[in-house]
Amino acid sequence: MFKFAPYLLKTLWRHRMRTLSTVSGAAVALFVFCFVLSVQQGLERLTKQDDSVLVVFQANKFCPATSHLPQDYDRIITQMPGVRDVLPIQVFTNNCRASLDVVVFYGTLVDKIRNLRDFELTAGSWAEFEGHQDAAIVGQALAQRRGISVGQKFSIGDVTVVVAGIFTSTKRAEEDYVYCHLDFLQRTRGLDLVGTVTQQEVWLEESANPEEIAAAIDAKLKSGQIETDTRTKGAFQASSVADLIHLIDLSGYLGWSCLFLMAVLLGTTTIMTVEDRIGEHAALQTLGFSAFRVFRLVVSETMLLSLIGGGIGTLLATLVLMRSKLSLGAEAATIAIEPTPQMAVYAAVTSIAVGLIAGIVPATYAARADTVSSLRAAR
Amino acid sequence: MPLIHVDAVSKHFRKGDETITPLDNADLRMNRGEFVSLMGASGTGKSTLLNLIAGIDRPSSGRIVVDGEEITHFSRTRLAAWRARNIGYVFQTHNLIPVLTAYENIELPLLLLPMNRTERRRRVQVALTAVDLLNRANHYPRQLSGGQEQRVGIARAIVTDPTVIVADEPTGDLDAETSAQILSLLQRLNSELGTTLLMATHDADAAEMAGRQLKLDQGRLVELGNPGTVSMHPEAS
Repeated sequence: MFKFAPYLLKTLWRHRMRTLSTVSGAAVALFVFCFVLSVQQGLERLTKQDDSVLVVFQANKFCPATSHLPQDYDRIITQMPGVRDVLPIQVFTNNCRASLDVVVFYGTLVDKIRNLRDFELTAGSWAEFEGHQDAAIVGQALAQRRGISVGQKFSIGDVTVVVAGIFTSTKRAEEDYVYCHLDFLQRTRGLDLVGTVTQQEVWLEESANPEEIAAAIDAKLKSGQIETDTRTKGAFQASSVADLIHLIDLSGYLGWSCLFLMAVLLGTTTIMTVEDRIGEHAALQTLGFSAFRVFRLVVSETMLLSLIGGGIGTLLATLVLMRSKLSLGAEAATIAIEPTPQMAVYAAVTSIAVGLIAGIVPATYAARADTVSSLRAAR
Repeated sequence: MPLIHVDAVSKHFRKGDETITPLDNADLRMNRGEFVSLMGASGTGKSTLLNLIAGIDRPSSGRIVVDGEEITHFSRTRLAAWRARNIGYVFQTHNLIPVLTAYENIELPLLLLPMNRTERRRRVQVALTAVDLLNRANHYPRQLSGGQEQRVGIARAIVTDPTVIVADEPTGDLDAETSAQILSLLQRLNSELGTTLLMATHDADAAEMAGRQLKLDQGRLVELGNPGTVSMHPEAS
């Protein structure tokens, strides 16, 4: 079929306006599809996190603003078998509801973060962070979205920190958080939370069974000051964004609808051009082109349009997502909306598949047309 | 043994409630290297016979043998492959592909044959030379005159060195002077290259250029022994 590539390309070029409008439509459809896909992938990454980390939260509480665990629970949990380390975290967020620009402060023990998180500073220094009570390190996505730089003061409500560093992480969702000193956040005016934390993050030994230890923690603390609810981090995050999950599932239909529209657009424009070129296809068949070869030519044309449009849409979505660093958050958990190589591959395969499906009807029409009648009609 | 053997071929098709029979038990024998013209008024079945011999239509009954192969019962796919090797078709309306240059149009049927690029280039050059259009190789159909377009159509028909060339009213869309040039070209291809040519026309002067003239009358082929004696009825032309 490569021998016929010049014919295909020149045909598309000759019908430039049709090509342009079809490609534009396909690009818009794939742009929306990629957006939806990246939200779904972000949700999957968030809820399918490593099972070796547990989150201990106050029982029957769902918002980080209402969970208050004694900070010294960390000492009790640390002594339990299978537990490697415990990180007490005080959470402060500007918005517990679903939002595209959630800012979450994690007040925690600074000396432990370096070991328990895979952060890499791209600006600023750890020494500055460790040495100043009001210092904070800010995730790159949030810094980029909010235009935050090192040395700058950053405030949300009554919390004001000095940015000591900007970090990146292999987990993009982490880049939407601000990490600061636990004492500092607990003592912030208006919070007055000294001695309590929102949650305890429990790091397990490799051989440990997460469910068993979660149950053991809840059982052990049942008689304590505050009852707890312990889950794996993935399950905890999933419950935090539970309301969003249904919306994101629903957005999947939007993505599929876009693909359906794209197929209809490609199919309609191709069938119109096939009708215009009925004589041309008949002439090709007279020269010796088989019906199947004409079928393949038309399908290739549709697939090419779909691939070009899809490629442009995917590229645009990638650029917009990379630049905007969007994240969808609720209850202090954030879904990072970012482009991934898998998204690009999936979009490319989808474009080809949509082009193929959309081309079948017009290609069959072109291939099955009676040669003699078509030649006569084209005179 | 004749190159083309049309044996008791009939073709019927329905038009509303009416059954039309453009060919009724038609017979034709045509030898290799012959130039035969086929005359008849519009609608008498000239194009139908050409299409049957070219394998783009099927007879209702009878059989057609070309170069020893009975094509009547070939599948659609096999017929397409057979056409690519054996038939050169010259259309009345040229039917060039508008997005391709003259060179690319002529090369198109060669892409269907097992042939490398060098051989394709050589054959296209020979065909372009034969129709005297080497200097128009890179022109698109819209940049060519009607006569030049038809010469490209003829080059496309001869480039595969087919068993037979069928030409359906090749001068039907051309003025008298250009028609004469095209007919002269076809005659030269026949006499110099030995190309077997079957040409449908309703123009008596064009028919005279052929070595043998046939006329379709009431669905049957009639041999015209004396070229120049055939005259078309005005209402039929």
